[in-house]
Amino acid sequence: MTFDLTPLAPYLGDLAAGARLTAMACALALAGGLALGIVAALMRTAASPLARRAADAYVDVFRNVPFIVQLFFLFYGLPEIGVELSAFSTGVLALSLAGGAFTSDVIRSGILAVEPGVLEAAQVSGLSRLAIYRRIVLPMALRTSVRPLGSVFVNLVLTSSILSAITLNELTGSAKIVAADTFQPFEVYALLLLLYAAMTWLVSLSAGVLHRRLNRDLG
Amino acid sequence: MRYADFTPHDLLLLLQGLGVSVALFAATTVIGLAIGLAWAVLRYYRTPLLAPLVAAVAELLKNSPVLVQLFLVFFGLPVLLETDLTPEQAALITLSGNTAAFIYVIAVSAIEAVGREQLETARVFGLSRWQTLRRIVAPQAAAFGLGPLTGLLVNQLQVTSLISVIGVVDLTKVGAILNLRTLKPFIVWTVIGLLYYLMARLIARVCARAEARLRAHSQWKGL
Amino acid sequence: MIHIEGVTKRFGSHTVLDGVDLRVAPGEVVSILGASGSGKSTLIRCINGLEKLDGGIISVDGHRVDDPKQLQLARRCSGTVFQLFNLYPHMTALQNITLAPMEVLKVPRQQAEDEARALLASVGLAGRAAAYPAQLSGGQRQRVGICRALAMKPRYLLLDEVTSALDPEMTAEVLAILARLAADGTTMLFVTHEIEFARHISNRVVFLEQGRLLADLPTAQFFAADGGLAQPRIAQFLSKMSKS
Repeated sequence: MTFDLTPLAPYLGDLAAGARLTAMACALALAGGLALGIVAALMRTAASPLARRAADAYVDVFRNVPFIVQLFFLFYGLPEIGVELSAFSTGVLALSLAGGAFTSDVIRSGILAVEPGVLEAAQVSGLSRLAIYRRIVLPMALRTSVRPLGSVFVNLVLTSSILSAITLNELTGSAKIVAADTFQPFEVYALLLLLYAAMTWLVSLSAGVLHRRLNRDLG
Repeated sequence: MRYADFTPHDLLLLLQGLGVSVALFAATTVIGLAIGLAWAVLRYYRTPLLAPLVAAVAELLKNSPVLVQLFLVFFGLPVLLETDLTPEQAALITLSGNTAAFIYVIAVSAIEAVGREQLETARVFGLSRWQTLRRIVAPQAAAFGLGPLTGLLVNQLQVTSLISVIGVVDLTKVGAILNLRTLKPFIVWTVIGLLYYLMARLIARVCARAEARLRAHSQWKGL
Repeated sequence: MIHIEGVTKRFGSHTVLDGVDLRVAPGEVVSILGASGSGKSTLIRCINGLEKLDGGIISVDGHRVDDPKQLQLARRCSGTVFQLFNLYPHMTALQNITLAPMEVLKVPRQQAEDEARALLASVGLAGRAAAYPAQLSGGQRQRVGICRALAMKPRYLLLDEVTSALDPEMTAEVLAILARLAADGTTMLFVTHEIEFARHISNRVVFLEQGRLLADLPTAQFFAADGGLAQPRIAQFLSKMSKS
């Protein structure tokens, strides 16, 4: 039983390229997911029952259907209705939609955690609903959401490995090629495991730092 | 193009795929539960060497993609151990391990939620560590853990879909087969998605009922 | 003029306000006394629209609070100071005060900040403009709360047990500011347990008991043996309060 990483050395460049693709896809999906999540959270805490039900349905579906099925639905389905997207774009879209569902849970908790008294003070001072959301509710909700959003982002990074199933050469996809070329799948995948663990650890750490910075004045 | 349409045989295929997914989910849940709880007990006893090792393994399994874990076991282990593994065996091993890692974390939190004072009180009364665990900690921890467990189970059900990538003919793989043949992705993937959705809801409902039963038992009904 | 007529408010089967009539004219300082649960805070919350009426009318300078279209206008006429301060925790003292003037009255930033600093100075918090609520004491937070309410230049100041959450020393600081505001002619309607303070600065006292107005008298008359004290419930209440 041998564990030898040296034959992998010439392939580090490929793996790095794959990692860059993963990072890009995840960053874009985070932005997309956050935007969707905020909208969905606002809808879920809205007064209108229609808005609430629509957003609840969105979250329900994307949380109870496997990501790979969502991905295949988009990858094979969109061309049928004339929408031609690259594998990368399809991947980012799928990650954003799924990410939005999980993000909305976090933001919704953040919104509901805003003290009612603070809301009342804003209301009686004559602020419009829009101003209250923009200046009071969302800033407060986002501050408390940083850590849980970090968890969602970690999940996003791990889920991004599934994009290799639609021929995208992100980190996992690149690793498959390297494993095939070097005939050393054990070493390659073990290394991959550690690389992902390192990436997610970095994300959690950053979330912690960001949380402390945003909340340092809040006592 | 003759077989491009859906046939009644496809229903059978779907059921078979569903059966494979459910079977694997059930088996890996049971095995994962056993292993994860065993690991949590190791942590409870603070077993030297094993407890921190187990914690490290759980962390690694939790923070890496399941797909990569599947590849490691299916492609990597046979080369390492110079043996053969069927896709089903690889799926069983990987998902059990993955589930165990999450069960471990839930169990540890649930045990911690029971509160130090109870452990201390039990010790003062002369109960052994095992008796404390069995009689005092475990029942309460079970109540705490049931909520997160529901979420985990629903998630692990979705995770089973990844075994299709290493060739197991589960529900997702059947979907891929049908999609390739009929070229009707919207119908195929919607049906597959719906089946997973219904299963997830079923699991959630069963767990909710179990939780209600557990709560009812522990409710103080008054004198 | 704050016009309250026949106001009724129920929470479930519990009637908290039962046909309350009250008028507050500009320049008056009116205190509302009563036992806990008598409906005092609810009355204030009906005036600033935080609670919906089940019966009766409230209008502030002619704007009806039960009409959604007029509510915002009614709210502009009054400012509220809360028992638990309710400062925006993610904003500095200065930002807390300037938010509404800038967003609602469209006051330019420089002007809003200058006025805010002047207000802070007037309550003795000149150097604390950049402090966050978490860094301020309870008394300081309440003073910021007062500034925040005053920043909108309201015609009426509504104060809901604003010293109940403060220790005696901080209570004294805040009451001093309120006394000054009253002397300067600010119209105030306040709910309080500080009987002596109410007696000192208000020109009218109103007593609520289980949602009903038992008395609405000029201060001197309220505390007179043949005036408010002639009512057994009021006499009982006042004697209990002075014992504590």
